[in-house]
Amino acid sequence: MAFEDLLEDPVIQKYLHELVGPKGMPVAAAPPDGEVTDEELAEELDLELNDVRRALFILYENDLAEYRRLRDEDSGWLTYLWTFHYENIPENLEEEMHRLLAALEDREEYERNHEFYLCEVCSIRFEFGEAMDFGFECPECGSPLESMDNDRLVTAMDDRLAALREELNVESGA
Amino acid sequence: MQVCVPGRDGDIYAAPGASFQRIHVRTFVAEVVRVSVAAEEELTEDEHAGLELVRETGGIHQSDFWKELGVSSRKGSRIVESLVEKGLVDREDTIYNGHNTYYVSPTARDLEFSLLMAGDMLSPFIGEEEVDGNSDAFSQWIMNLAYEE
Repeated sequence: MAFEDLLEDPVIQKYLHELVGPKGMPVAAAPPDGEVTDEELAEELDLELNDVRRALFILYENDLAEYRRLRDEDSGWLTYLWTFHYENIPENLEEEMHRLLAALEDREEYERNHEFYLCEVCSIRFEFGEAMDFGFECPECGSPLESMDNDRLVTAMDDRLAALREELNVESGA
Repeated sequence: MQVCVPGRDGDIYAAPGASFQRIHVRTFVAEVVRVSVAAEEELTEDEHAGLELVRETGGIHQSDFWKELGVSSRKGSRIVESLVEKGLVDREDTIYNGHNTYYVSPTARDLEFSLLMAGDMLSPFIGEEEVDGNSDAFSQWIMNLAYEE
């Protein structure tokens, strides 16, 4: 098997699981050295061919695998020979860290600039304007809406934002 | 999370149905990855210090690199050369203080990927085309961040 060191990282395991789902995980978790056909993988891992193919194409879409096609001269059948490219995982995750950073920046600003009210029964949160429109009563259950402090959320987001910026060498306040 | 990696004791190339001749080419990249892990253990003292410097600074111009390291510019350049060859750092051309130099930075491999996690939840944007900062999944991620870490 190739890329053992990458696959030891629990975040990378989780990432692959997120991409291919539980049925594709046996394929994603055991990339062979060199080339392999979908049929060989299905046989080796005792999986449905369709599940193997689905996982391989998801990896392909994420630049983590590529294939070349061979035509059998006698039967005319096409064989797909797959190569795993997990060396691209770090760059993909770096990109995800940038996407997360951008989303956190937007969301942090929103959290900081709004006041919120909470229905403690339904656990639904309303912006101040919405809460006022409902007369500070929950539209679902009629309970009174209570002012909600989101300092803890903002602090947690600020901490993670700082850590991401530091790790990615990004200036703040973009 | 532990993922169960299926055993691979059978020879996959001998699988029934493999009806054609195949050259067993190991992918070049797989080799490089393996080499770079081994390479780190075989660095000279200076190379090791250089790699640490690049990682600590998160990226440094080559003209500052050798000064910080306390070696000659020629030696600094050889160290960077060697680290680039081993795939342990990235290097790109840049202009700095009016002269041509290189910017030497850590590779993506060194990043702390756990910053994508909140509790045991991965960033909800993975596998999604669009980033929706107001999605329920992201709200859940932020709740995890605030209350489970």
